[in-house]
Amino acid sequence: MRLSVAAAISHGRVYRHLGLGPRSRLDLLRNLVTALVRHERIEVPWARADEMRGYAERLIDYAKLGDTNERAMRMANFWLTEKDLIHKLFKVLAVRFQPHPGSYTRMLHIPNRDDIDRAKMAVIELKGNPFPPLIVPRRDTEKTLLNQLLKGYREDAQRLAVP
Amino acid sequence: ALVMLFSPLPRLRSLLQRCWGQLEHGLLLSFSRGPSPPWGPALAVQAPALLPEPVSVTTESNEVPSLFDSILWMAAPKKRRTIEVNRCRRRNPSKLIKVKRNIDVCPECGNLKQKHVLCGYCYAKVKAETRLIRIEIGKKEGGPFNAPTVETVVLYDGEKPTEKEEGKRIIERARKRPSWFAQD
Repeated sequence: MRLSVAAAISHGRVYRHLGLGPRSRLDLLRNLVTALVRHERIEVPWARADEMRGYAERLIDYAKLGDTNERAMRMANFWLTEKDLIHKLFKVLAVRFQPHPGSYTRMLHIPNRDDIDRAKMAVIELKGNPFPPLIVPRRDTEKTLLNQLLKGYREDAQRLAVP
Repeated sequence: ALVMLFSPLPRLRSLLQRCWGQLEHGLLLSFSRGPSPPWGPALAVQAPALLPEPVSVTTESNEVPSLFDSILWMAAPKKRRTIEVNRCRRRNPSKLIKVKRNIDVCPECGNLKQKHVLCGYCYAKVKAETRLIRIEIGKKEGGPFNAPTVETVVLYDGEKPTEKEEGKRIIERARKRPSWFAQD
């Protein structure tokens, strides 16, 4: 028998309660998506970045359908409050992400904000942006033990394969 | 005294009339014996139907009983908590500050960082450079709402655009290329 109210349990609910209400939440996310399309790298609270990521990626999927598509144009018109970014979305971002099947954004954790609230922050960026990279992939140097052993093995294999 | 009774059933009416007749008969007989009837009211007083309660009781019931007579009402500790019991409560693992074991050294700059978080120093470095690039972009665009419809590429001192950067907008930065920003 049900002892608890369904409204008070939130198991499996995916959408966070941001802002003052549902409409306010959408406006907040819309501002963030516009900022991301304009600046291509923004530093925001982690929860907002997480919410916004899905919306941004779906917007780019709509943009990939093309300029002439009525639904795509209506979506872009709603989600981008600054109308010059609609041109950027269809002409720059859709072209850039055409070969990619999905995941056009990268979200990384930042040290907590310096304010009194010490909020959990994240930086969210579109892949392929012109700015310096946040993570530099480092390859191990040749001088590590494992690499030296592998190099020796390769040379032995070549010496045996030659005659 | 005559009492008129309107009962719905005629049999009940006749029964009541007979009873009342018997009573009157008995009353007449007793009256002939003595002066005072045995069951008359001794004293008839004019008073309202409901007697009001004494004033003090009503005022008492509305107010909270004073602390003077409510020894059973307020909670109070019975015994002093010993230092052993206090120590158990204060030093219980749930109240102690947890030790963080996810702190590492950043391989680039040597500062401390949490494993799942970007290094603060390296991020600040990249943030400063991005800010300068954005100033240059702002100078190139001129006003607000002038987002370009072509890609952007950043070139440092002494670098020429290659054929890969054909139709892109070039942003010049007047410094040497930093080691952590490799040209793709």
